[in-house]
Amino acid sequence: MKTNVKRMSGCVATANAVKLANVDVICSYPIRPYTGIMSELARMVADGELDAEFVLGEGEHGQLSVVYGASAAGARAFTGSSGVGVTYAMEVYSPISGERLPLQMAIADRTLDPPGDFGSEHTDALCCRDQGWIQGWAASPQEALDMTLLYYRIGEDPRVLLPQYACQDGYFVSHILGEVDVPTQEQVNEFLPPYKNHHVLDTRDPQIIGAQMEPEMGPGTQYQRHLAVENTYKVFEEVHDEFGKIFGRQYDPWLEEYMTEDAEIVFFLQGAHAVTAKNVVKHLRNLGEKVGVVRLRTFRPFPTKQVRECLKRFKVVGVVDNSVNFGISCGSGVLLTEARAALYNNDEKVKTIGFVAGLGGSMITQNEFYQMFTILKNINKTGKVEKESYWVPFEL
Amino acid sequence: MAIAYEKIPFAGTVKSPQKENEGMITGNWRTRRPILDAEKCMECQLCWISCPDSCVNLMTETSPITFNLKYCKGCGLCAEMCPVGAISLVPELDFEE
Repeated sequence: MKTNVKRMSGCVATANAVKLANVDVICSYPIRPYTGIMSELARMVADGELDAEFVLGEGEHGQLSVVYGASAAGARAFTGSSGVGVTYAMEVYSPISGERLPLQMAIADRTLDPPGDFGSEHTDALCCRDQGWIQGWAASPQEALDMTLLYYRIGEDPRVLLPQYACQDGYFVSHILGEVDVPTQEQVNEFLPPYKNHHVLDTRDPQIIGAQMEPEMGPGTQYQRHLAVENTYKVFEEVHDEFGKIFGRQYDPWLEEYMTEDAEIVFFLQGAHAVTAKNVVKHLRNLGEKVGVVRLRTFRPFPTKQVRECLKRFKVVGVVDNSVNFGISCGSGVLLTEARAALYNNDEKVKTIGFVAGLGGSMITQNEFYQMFTILKNINKTGKVEKESYWVPFEL
Repeated sequence: MAIAYEKIPFAGTVKSPQKENEGMITGNWRTRRPILDAEKCMECQLCWISCPDSCVNLMTETSPITFNLKYCKGCGLCAEMCPVGAISLVPELDFEE
């Protein structure tokens, strides 16, 4: 089934997907590391490979406003950012999902300030997690390409009509080359029909998108958006099945499991650090340890049922958060609190331990994963939890 | 009392209104009033297309652009956009009415 395998970075893979999706409007503003996507797209437009309107925003707030308008006018629109750029555009995220405009934003993670050191950290994208957007992490350039196509298709489904954050770890995915099977235009055309919304700005039929409402209309408007997010679960499953049939790559929409059969201990995490975790787990399996990795592929909507059914099979789950959530319940990160919430009211007793790791763009080293495993193994053996969460490496 | 969600238009999108909403008069929010210098005006009507509240009326054969002061909030975008400085913003306290 392999058609056209090339070596490329996550940024270039995403740009290729955007080109194959035949977007109409792109809006850019530079910030490392996502900006690699835009330089590749700018080249494609300049070289005549892609017929799209390429607009330079005056900042990220402007960027999101441009694609907001473009999507409302019926265009398939694309933008992106990293780090503080993502948070600078914060005001515009809720209107875009509230007005049900399924544009896409790529986020290649970068730490917020401080340390502002360009390094990857999921905090930027996770700040926006509850804005009614679809959100998930790719762990390889191939997955970054596929995610862009999948998300456009899911987001533009008439039952959904929601925008999407297609996230990838900065540098670890965005700037490291991987083998990417680039689909043909015919395959993509079959998978992704042209974008149609049921409200489009048109001078021949003037309407107001984002009108000011009376307070009595507020609850119902929010409930409509909630229902749209709830609809997404079913559409995710259908679209991933269809993607597998057309492209030959069958993803589980929610979770990727690695060596979890008969495992007692697993690492639960999302994004590219799962690659390191898998290497460590493979080695530990050779030493006879019953350990595996569960990688979350979709964060919003959060697959509560699937996470519960999966994690309750194990005895101890080490949840690795690659973000800062100062003062959060249990002292670790949002992935821990969501995993615990999914497991709560469940008969099985699963111990969940949080680790905050890989901050500021630092690697989560193999050695750190071994140390985390030692803690989890002790808990599995003694049944005693001394600490609910650890900051890596200082508290290991 | 909350309105049933099925009765709310999809994503709150509504047809553009054809008449003024008497229940939401915003002209009294204004602290500065736009005043046109018709001598300077070059009739490009950028002010008309820029007004976020549709408070600039298109020019006609007999009249230059006019402002709908019943709803104009005095944001001043029209003056900002005017390429020849034909619109000035005058404090409301300078007017008697």
